Parts: sequence; structure tokens; C-alpha cells
Amino acid sequence: MTDAPHDLLSPPKVRRSPVKSILLHAVLIVCSFGMLYPILWMISGSFRPQEELFGSSSLIPSALDLGGYVRGWSGLQVTFGRFFWNSLVISVLATIGNVVGCSLAAFAFSRLRFAGRNFWFALMLGTLMLPYHVVLIPQYILFLHLGWVNSPLPLIVPKYLATDAFFIFLMVQFFRGIPKELDEAAVMDGCSPFRIYWKIMLPLSMPVLATAAIFSFIWTWDDFFGPLIYLSDINTYTVQLGLRSFVDSTGSSDWTALFAMSNLSLIPVFLFFLFFQRLLIEGIATTGMKR
Amino acid sequence: MSMMLDRRSVLWGGLSALSLATFHTPALAQAARLRMIWWGSQERADRTNKAIAAFKGAKPDITIAGEFAGWSDYWPRLATQVAGRNAPDLIQMDYRYIFEYARRGALAPLDDYIGKGLKIEDFGKANVDSGRVDGKLFGVNLGVNSSVVIYDKAAWEKTGAKAPSLGQTWEEFAENAIAFGKKKPKPGYYATADASGLEPSFENYLRQNNKALFAADGQLGYEASDVASWFKMWDGIRKAGGCVPADVQALDQLNIETNALTTGKAATAFAHSNQFVGYQALNKSKLSLTAYPKVSASSPTGHYLKPSMLMSVSATSQNVQSAVDFINFLVASPEGVDLLGVERGVPASTAMRDQLTTKLDDVSKAMVEYIAAITPNVGALPINPPQGAGELAFVLTRVSQEVAFGRITPEEGGERMVSEAKNTLARK
Amino acid sequence: MASQTETMHRGSRTAALRGQSAFRRMLDRNAAGYVFLLPWLLGFFGLTLGPALASLYLSFTNYDLLQSPDWVGAANYVRILTDDPKFGAAMRVTFTYVILSVPLKLAFALAVAMAFNRGIKGLTLYRAIFYLPSLLGSSVAIAVLWRQLFASDGLINMALWQAFGYEGPSWISNPDYALYTLVLLSIWQFGSPMIIFLAGLRQIPKDMYEAAEMDGAGKARQFFRITLPLLTPVIFFNSVIQTIEAFKAFTPAFIISEGTGGPINSTLFYTLYLYQEAFGFFRMGYASALAWILVVIISLFTAFSFLGARYWVHYDD
Repeated sequence: MTDAPHDLLSPPKVRRSPVKSILLHAVLIVCSFGMLYPILWMISGSFRPQEELFGSSSLIPSALDLGGYVRGWSGLQVTFGRFFWNSLVISVLATIGNVVGCSLAAFAFSRLRFAGRNFWFALMLGTLMLPYHVVLIPQYILFLHLGWVNSPLPLIVPKYLATDAFFIFLMVQFFRGIPKELDEAAVMDGCSPFRIYWKIMLPLSMPVLATAAIFSFIWTWDDFFGPLIYLSDINTYTVQLGLRSFVDSTGSSDWTALFAMSNLSLIPVFLFFLFFQRLLIEGIATTGMKR
Repeated sequence: MSMMLDRRSVLWGGLSALSLATFHTPALAQAARLRMIWWGSQERADRTNKAIAAFKGAKPDITIAGEFAGWSDYWPRLATQVAGRNAPDLIQMDYRYIFEYARRGALAPLDDYIGKGLKIEDFGKANVDSGRVDGKLFGVNLGVNSSVVIYDKAAWEKTGAKAPSLGQTWEEFAENAIAFGKKKPKPGYYATADASGLEPSFENYLRQNNKALFAADGQLGYEASDVASWFKMWDGIRKAGGCVPADVQALDQLNIETNALTTGKAATAFAHSNQFVGYQALNKSKLSLTAYPKVSASSPTGHYLKPSMLMSVSATSQNVQSAVDFINFLVASPEGVDLLGVERGVPASTAMRDQLTTKLDDVSKAMVEYIAAITPNVGALPINPPQGAGELAFVLTRVSQEVAFGRITPEEGGERMVSEAKNTLARK
Repeated sequence: MASQTETMHRGSRTAALRGQSAFRRMLDRNAAGYVFLLPWLLGFFGLTLGPALASLYLSFTNYDLLQSPDWVGAANYVRILTDDPKFGAAMRVTFTYVILSVPLKLAFALAVAMAFNRGIKGLTLYRAIFYLPSLLGSSVAIAVLWRQLFASDGLINMALWQAFGYEGPSWISNPDYALYTLVLLSIWQFGSPMIIFLAGLRQIPKDMYEAAEMDGAGKARQFFRITLPLLTPVIFFNSVIQTIEAFKAFTPAFIISEGTGGPINSTLFYTLYLYQEAFGFFRMGYASALAWILVVIISLFTAFSFLGARYWVHYDD
């Protein structure tokens, strides 16, 4: 290795012949279509007459009908706008909680040496392994005693207490990849552990923090089991809960409206992804440049 | 309440002690503030909420907060709330689950309220009794329902085969289905879905043979040979191209949107009459409905009237009387009945049904007329199923698939069904 | 600001540093460690441990959700291990799923992440598109869609017919193939490990490649000497996590078979079976015992992974 400054810049530029480039794009476009097909199909489903939905696999609807969006948006006694707002609040708060809570724990596990570290780490991993369905009822009773049921607190507060071991483990792996000389040098300069965490670890870990933020947001947004159990007032419903209310397997369901609202529900997560993937890609470069 | 201080309370007490801080439990239901839970689509939610609002107009001191969920989400949610002793006062119940909940003490008996706020005398004995579990009333019938054959008449006529009709025998039905298959309009399209794995259809067949799913002692009401002959009949139809093949039938998840009729693979479905509106909404061609085929012209029809759903009151409710008042509003007052319509099934009360029928569209009317048509020939309610019975419907579906995919013969299927059913019932 | 100091100190001074104040640092770090761990400890003891112990207790009882649990000792465990054909079926399905889906998904995710780590025009767009399937999560639409693809008259069979004149079965509802369509679904939703790989790749210092290039190392050599070793912590993470997740896979089977695990138990995932027992048939005690057996199995896998990791995972510490 050289002693050159840590140079962490934008993606390496590769020069390619035009033929190769066209081929590459062709492959990518074909693959993209495979990836996009379901979305296209859902979009077309949201416009087509209901009775066409399950009998045909064509992408082109026989008629364009915006009714699904209208019915879907204000179909339940509360409009979907309300559900979007609820989902957004819960997802944003949960995302912040996960990033803060888990990065603190991950810093301890990856950088600080303390008695019992391996023991706690093993326990932490252990919490990943128990299937959710068997702790559901004890957890419900616990939150009931805390007076949190029928509020979004059970969906938010645990994130600040780093109960999602996935993110701790993820950050531990990345923190360990950051050269240790950095914080050892900082210790020499009299930096406190918190300063190391704040000034060295976090700025150099933008890719993994962005990753954790993306996953937290999307998974909280997509989660329906937690909201299903803890939110019973329709004014507090999330988008996923609202969506699933369209489907009544034993009676008549409004499928077109379900597809319409499903499409709308993808927009916020997609935008969130687009925004945070920039951080993921450019994060290190920009923070590395600030000197 | 103090009776409930048992092992579980100790366990949960320990749990909350482990928690960060023990805030106080949320206040118990205050006077005349009720919670109600149901499953269903948005249309049901709209209708129910209108009924709740109208009831509030009539009885301003009773407030009802509604919660609802889709069918598959409903049961874990309800179980969790009941397990946490946080059950809603009013609980929409399914005919299969009411036995599980009532026998485990989760529901309040309503016998004492009949006549006192609950005016269900004109339901007729069968429709009242369909809410009874082991002799006690635990649920009020929200809609009358029965098994039904739903078919696409035009598709049948196009092939020249005779469409299902009232009084037809299984033999005729099979012949017609096979005839349909020989002249089918397009590849991959069949006369009928395969009902061999559907418990309601199998039950109907048993009843036509004067048997039943369960005997009075809680044991099985049929033998391996009964299952075998049922499987054999369907095997014959399947092998002759009269019904959908095994891998198409396996796509059916026992709901409307995955049924072969809806997905355009078959012209006939075996379903429940309250689903007729839902089927019509998802099918382009006009659908008709009729009773099941019979084993012989003189056999019983096998049909009986069962509730499409019931309304129950939680055993922990502090306001049973108010809850009963609301149930009565839903089933026995013209205002409530009109608001609910036939969305939950045909009203059990004859007076209510008569005043409602005139306000219905053609599809709903066809459903009401079907119930009226079969009612004179329906049999008695089946004996209450024993504990663990709910699992047998899944066993039947699985064994029927093993037969359909050719892994075992219909006879082996009969043996397997009976031995697995006995094992399941013996458990616990 | 900090980074300037960092880089200057690298190398020469670290060795001296290690010896000097090791003792003092250890004391400090012991306290600091627990301060940083405090939120997690609160969450663990306050929210996670209690319910977990409760489920362990329930696994030794008959608990039907609606009535109090009855202590039955090890009866649930005995039944699961000696007299439960569905347990065997669920094990077969789950192990097949883990063994097939995890390596394939990881390989695919790594390959795509590598491809996306270079300068391609429109990269942002492609990356977003490739992540889309993972955004769909457990949407109801997936269930409907998967049938459109893998039913007898689905798109896959149409393509097979056009290309090879081969008339395929209804893949998704045939007990011989249904599980493999779910393996495909898992691979298709490869977005999460891909993003994590991508984040890992972004963290590899570029100067290492430049140094290697100056030494005349080719692309392949760079991949095996730099990319792969430095990516090992992330590869390790992804494989451990994906394995755990695959063992616990629930949603795909639930939405495809509406929770039945059919046809003929061919998609009866372990947690699906557990869910049926708990909420379908009111046997929460039995389901809890199933859950703890799964915990033991996953723990063994994870422990072996961590033991093995010493030989191939490269950390910079």
C-alpha cells in the first residue's frame, strides 16, 4: 500500500468501444424489462376493467379507466392521503431511530473493547433467529401494559432501542472495514469515543448508513403485520393496512382500486430509494473531500 | 375478573415487570363505548359505518368504534386481541371459527337477551340455531347462505352440452361435463372446476347419502369408502376431460379471484351463495346459479342454510346489552337492514328480507331468489363439529390433490383421509 | 479536518501507540462500550428478552391463545421430533429453499453490483429499475403476477412454446415445481444484498486499485487480490443474513399459496407451518416449540459460519 492520502472518489471511468457499449445497454434494457414487467402489469391492471384482471395476461388493457384511482383514493371512510401521511411519519421516525440506535450499538461492537462484548454480540445475533409469530402475542401484551396499543409507538420506539439486529450486524461489518489507524490516531489526539463515532465513523460510513436508511424506510413502509396488530383506528392506518382492506377473499373486492393504490404506494418508496442511493454512491467522495 | 388471575396473568405480570416502565393499562371500556371488528372489503366498511352512524342517531349515548381488516389478516389480529384480553365488544364471526372461540370461552352467551332487545324470533329455528354452539346462542345470523353451483350459461350452451340445473344428478352432471370437454371452445377451458377437495361440496355429497362430516359423538360421520367414492367420481370426470386438471385446480386458493371460473379456465364453480355478487363482479359473462347435483333423483338435496357470517359479543365486554342493541339494529330494524343490504348475505328475518328484496339489483335478487328456491328442501343443520374440525378441510384438500396428481388411488385417498382425520381429532 | 490528521498518522505511529496506553484505554473503553450499548441493552431487556422467554415457556405448554396455557413438559418437542410428518415435510422444503436460493441470489446480487460499480451511462436509472422488484415486498400484486407468469397459460409457457414448441406444465401449482418458482421469486428480489454489496464496493479505497495498476496487475488479479478480500466482511454478512432470512422465509409462500403450503405441502415453509399451527389451528404452544427448534438449527448454522469466517473473512483490524 502507498502512503498516498485516502482517495475515495467517484466511480472509476471505464472507456469502452461503442459496439461493446451498445451491447451492454441492450443486455441491460432487456433485463430491465424483466424487472419492470410486474410494475407495468400492475399499472395496466389499475386501468383495466375489473373482470379482465384475472383472466388475461396481456399488458394492454381493453379500456382505460381511471375509476380505480378515484374509488381507491377515497373509497374507505378516510382518504388514502391520511394513510400516506401516517406511513410517512412512522417510516421517517423509524428510519431515524434505526440509524441512530443501531449505529451506536454497532460502534460499540466493532470499535470498543469491553468485557462481555462477544457474549452480547452473540445474544444480539440470536434475536434475529426467533420467528416473529411466536413473540407476537407476548409482545402485544407487553405493549398493552405499557399503554401503547392503538398508537404508533410500538412501531417506532423499539427502533430507537436498536431492536433490529440486522442493522447492527450490517453496520458492524462495515465499521470493521474502516482502517483502525484512523481512530487510533484520533485517540492519540485526545478524541473521546463519542467524537470518534461522530467525526470519523459516521462520516466515513455514509454508504452503509444510506443503505440502512433505505432498508429501514422501505421495510417499515411495506410492513403490515406490525400495523395490523397495533393500529386499530382507521385514522391511524398505514398505506399497507389500507391496501389490504380492499381484499375480502370471501366476498367482493375492488381489485382495480387495489392495484391503483398499490401503484401510488410505490411512489414514495421509489423516490426515497432514488434520493438515498445518491448518498450511497456519492457519500464517501463528498465527505472525503471536505477538509 | 379475579378468576382470571391464573398462570397466564402471572406470566404476563412478569413480562411487564421486565419492561422499561409499567404505565397503567389503558382504561377498560367506559360505559357505552363499544369497539367492533369485522373483516371485509371497503363496500362492507362503508355500509357498516353508515349503520353505525345511523345507530348513533337513534341511541346517542352509545358510541361504536369500528375496526376492520381483510379476511386473512383478520384472524391473527382477533386472536392477538383476545389473547391480550383486549377483545372488541362486537366481533364478526365465521361459521367455522365460532366453535373455536365459543368453546374456549371467548364469546358471551346471548340466550338471555332473546326477546330483551334481541328480536330474532322470526328468523326461524334453523337460522337462530345456526348461531348456537353446544346449545347456547353465541352468534346472531347476519346473512343466510348455502352452497351453490355458479355457472356461465352461455359457455355451456355454446358447446351444446346441458348446463347444470335444479334436480340434475351427479351422473348427468358428469356426462354433460365430459360432453362439454369434447366440444370445448378453446384449449385449456373446461366445463367445471374440480370440487373434490372442497369440504362444503364433500359435505353436501355426504348429506345426500344420509351421512355427515361428524357423528353425534364427535367422531367422523363417514367412512373411507365414502371418501373413495367421492374421489372416484371426480377422478372419472377429470380423466375424461370433464373438469380442470390437477395443476389448474391447485391454483384455486378457495377464494373468488383464484377460482377457475374467474380465471377463465372453467365454466362452473362450486361456491357459497353470498359470493355470487363477487363472482359476477369479476366475470365478464352473465352468471347463473343453481343447487348442487344429487346422487339420485330421490336423494335429499344435501343443502342446508348456514350463516354467511355471524355477529358475536366478546365474553369480556362490559356492555353486552348495548352490543346486543346494536346487533338487533343490524338484523331486525328496517333502517339497519337496508343499510347493510345483502352484502353480508340474505337477511334471516323473513319480514326484513321481504321489505329489502324490492330495493335490490338483479344480481342480488338472483341470490335472494336462490335461497328462497332451495329453502323448502333444505335439511337440518349439521351436528356441531368437534374441536380440531377446522383442520380437516385442509387435510381433504391435500389428499384430494394427491389423488388428482395421480400419486395415490381414490381408494388409498379414502383410507388416508380417514386415518389423518382421526389422528387430528384425537390430538390434544 | 480529522481526516488529514488521520492519514498523516497512519502506519508509523500506530505500532508505538498500541503498547503505550493499552491499559488506560481498556478501562476507558469498558465504560464507553456500555454507554454506547445502552440503548440496545434497554431494548434487549425491555422489549426483546421478555417475549422471547415467554415463547420459550409457552413451548412447554398447550396454549390455544384464548385460554390459559397448560404445562405439558417436553411433549410438544417429543411430538415434533417423533410423530409429525408435516415437520419433516416443512424441513425438506425449507432446506431445499435455503440451499438453492441463498447462493444463487448472492451470486446474482454480487454480479449485478459489480456491473453497476463502473461508469455506465444511466447507471442511476438501471440501478433503480433492478431494485424495483424488491420494493414490491409482499404486495398482493406479486401473488397475482406470479400466477400470470407460471400458470399453465402463463408467459413462461407461452415463451417456451414459441421458442421450443414445448408445452410446459402449470409450474406454480405443480407439486414437483412449485417450490422452484419461489426460489426464482427470491432470486428476482435480489435488491437488498445487491445494495449491500454495492455499499461494500464503494468503501474499497480507490488508491489500492491504482497501486495495483502501477504494479501491473490485470483486472482479474485486481478482483482476486483486492476486491474479493476487502469485500469478504460484506460477503460474510450477506450470506449469514440471507441464510437466516431464508430459514425464516414466510411471505413468499404465504402470498403464493394463501397460507396453505400447497399443493401437497410442496411449499410448506417452516414458518408457514408454524403460523398455521399458531393462528390457524390454535396451537401456539406447539408453534413455539417449532420456533425454538428452528432457533437451534439457525444458531448451529450461524455458529459454524462464524467459526469458518476466521479462515476467509478479512477485517482491517
